[in-house]
Amino acid sequence: MNKDSQEQRSTKRSSKKNHPFALFSPLASVKLTLTLLSLSMILVFVATLEQVRIGIRGAQAEFFESFYGIWHYPEQFWGGSTLNPIPVPIPGGYLLGGLLIVNLVAAYLTRFKWTYKKMGIQIIHLGIILLLAGQMFTQVMQVESRMQINKGESVDYIERFHGVELVFEDVTDEKQSKVVTIPQALLEEGGVFRTPELPFKVRVKNFGPNCTFDFASAGKPVGEIVQGVNRGAGANGKLSVMPMDEDFSNEAQNYAYSTFELLKGTESLGTWFTLAHPAGNHWWPILDERLADLAFQPFRHDNRLWGMSLRHEREYLPFSIKLNGIENEFYQGTEIPFNFESDVDLKLENGQTRKALVYMNTPLRHAGKTFYQYQMNKAADYTVFQVIRNPSWLVPYIACILVSLGLLWQFSFHLLSFLRKNNAKAKVA
Amino acid sequence: MPEIGPLGVANFTISEHNNISTMYLLPNKKISIYSAFGVLCLSGFLSSCSEDAEIKSYVIPNRHEGPVVTWMMPDGWGENPNLSGPLAGSFHVVTEAGPKGNIGVMPFREAVSSLDIANMFARELGYGPLGKDDLDQLIRTKKIGEREFEWIRMKEQLASENPRLVILALLRQDSETWLFPFIADQELARKEMNNYSDFLKSVVVRAGKKPIKAQTMAAASAPSALPKAYDAPQPTWETPDHWLAGKKSSMRVGSYSVEGSDGQSLDFSITTFPGDVGGLLANVNRWLEQVGLQKVDKEGLTEYLSPIKLDGKPAQLVVAENDEQSLYAAMYFGSESSWFIKIMGDSNLAKVEKNNFLNLLNTFCFHDH
Repeated sequence: MNKDSQEQRSTKRSSKKNHPFALFSPLASVKLTLTLLSLSMILVFVATLEQVRIGIRGAQAEFFESFYGIWHYPEQFWGGSTLNPIPVPIPGGYLLGGLLIVNLVAAYLTRFKWTYKKMGIQIIHLGIILLLAGQMFTQVMQVESRMQINKGESVDYIERFHGVELVFEDVTDEKQSKVVTIPQALLEEGGVFRTPELPFKVRVKNFGPNCTFDFASAGKPVGEIVQGVNRGAGANGKLSVMPMDEDFSNEAQNYAYSTFELLKGTESLGTWFTLAHPAGNHWWPILDERLADLAFQPFRHDNRLWGMSLRHEREYLPFSIKLNGIENEFYQGTEIPFNFESDVDLKLENGQTRKALVYMNTPLRHAGKTFYQYQMNKAADYTVFQVIRNPSWLVPYIACILVSLGLLWQFSFHLLSFLRKNNAKAKVA
Repeated sequence: MPEIGPLGVANFTISEHNNISTMYLLPNKKISIYSAFGVLCLSGFLSSCSEDAEIKSYVIPNRHEGPVVTWMMPDGWGENPNLSGPLAGSFHVVTEAGPKGNIGVMPFREAVSSLDIANMFARELGYGPLGKDDLDQLIRTKKIGEREFEWIRMKEQLASENPRLVILALLRQDSETWLFPFIADQELARKEMNNYSDFLKSVVVRAGKKPIKAQTMAAASAPSALPKAYDAPQPTWETPDHWLAGKKSSMRVGSYSVEGSDGQSLDFSITTFPGDVGGLLANVNRWLEQVGLQKVDKEGLTEYLSPIKLDGKPAQLVVAENDEQSLYAAMYFGSESSWFIKIMGDSNLAKVEKNNFLNLLNTFCFHDH
């Protein structure tokens, strides 16, 4: 008996060694899988706690869209005053997700057997790998934007929820505008920017993701940000601006700001202050006429008229959407929304027009983008779509189908085997 | 590399690459190599997927709805950076004595008449209210380049060696009127006339898709219609009952006349202008000339000036008294606009009304804080 089992073990070992992917077998450890899944649970628990403190976006960035995060035990918990100062490293979503994929792929390669008995398991594993990989793709490639359309108007651009750009637009020619944009990542670095597309150099003196501002008055300091500003909307201490930390909460209204100087050679052409409205710069003139220029600060240079502004990063589309009408319904006697819907015309690249109704959970999909009903203002007659570009949006659906098929196959196979055995036993009896 | 007990198989390794701490969860040595390789591949993949930050440039259909006006600034001119109100551009002539003169670019609606525009400037130059016949004497058409401008030339009416000259070039194009005022002393205006013509020739204008916010003259005549776009607050003040209200304009926001028992009279005005309109010295000297006193240099200014507070803001009180004519004025130079509160006329009557004038200054309120 002992001899047999020893022989079996050695046969198993030699077959494992002969497996073409034997090299990866240590990575296929089930213990590793369980460890990673346990750590994932800790990650979800910690991130959920932190969501209260730093908001969904903050928690997502700190713990899920990173290789590791640093957690501090909450002060209000038992022993918090002692434990809070100790930084606790938590493995992040990229690390755990990445290792899970590695672990699953290794398991898949090392244990893969194309037999009817194991086929269900293989399909389930394939589905889960696809699900994890799809989530990774989504994290990296998904872009969230918004599109606001006033009733009766057409819009052909979307603006990112997060991330701004400093824009220079030459509007001198009647038909076409030339747009030059400096993205937030470069504004954060600061320094002097030169491009052949601009007839001047841009020195970014200040940039911040959020600030508080007001009209300057006696006794109210204008703050360092606008000191030295001598042109445009923030010139001569008209505004009082104080930097603030970026707000990651759901209700965040971050006003990104920048102070920049234009240079011709070494000669200064002036220093401007500019501010991005979180809901779009078209709100400035509506809020206060004195702030209207923040949407378009004119600057004339070499017989050209440039408009300058800081706005949420914009993407122009080859098609446009016209808002024909909006409807919002509430549950009777409450302010709980029952249905929001926007009646739109999608004006396609080829000149054709397609009618569509966008409402809760029924988005409009076109050219790789999905337009979800996001906000609506019946009084002001405008609608806002959340626009998602996610090239891997189909992957979770395919993954779920694969897992379902795998489960179905595996259960069916076992059920049939069980029934066959039962039948055989019944015949023998 | 501390051990993690409860999981039995795992070690903790914290290593640093490029200042980024990366944490690996490792069951054994072999796995550590594979895992590290896997994570490196993954991070490489993730970083390669993110877009590099770069300056972008593209062309889109022009949707700018405002008017477009551009120009080539002649050599020897400087730009006044602080634009206010309907001014699209403002310039000065660079001289050895500092910036002088004022050239502006102002878009108006079609509704504005040449007479209204001329009257905006006429009173400050000593003209009475202009009528159509008066305007006919001052206006002509001048062709510059391919375009025809309405050309209104007005000279300061009071005797002076070098009187101020105002040239108003009006261009009517599409549905809008563009005003290019040139204000300077006569000598400078003559010297700069070629530059002014070249400037007008270079100007490119295009009407906006939306109406310009600048007030029409008809609207501006109402006291509440102080040009909004000047970003100036609506000030208030209290006047004695016997002061008679007169006609206002866009820049003359308060206008009164005071009649004496012997037929003497005083003219009281509150005016506001974008920019500093020449500054302290130029304005004081202009007034000194108007009341028949000699001009002064910077040092001589102190003889006529005393600091006061106008609605809590630092201002200057000018007292210029002569045998026949006297002038009391308060000047406030704000960040965007200048304010002049002035009473001028018969010396005897001015002395009587001086206290009323000073009391008015105490009641003056900008309502901007």
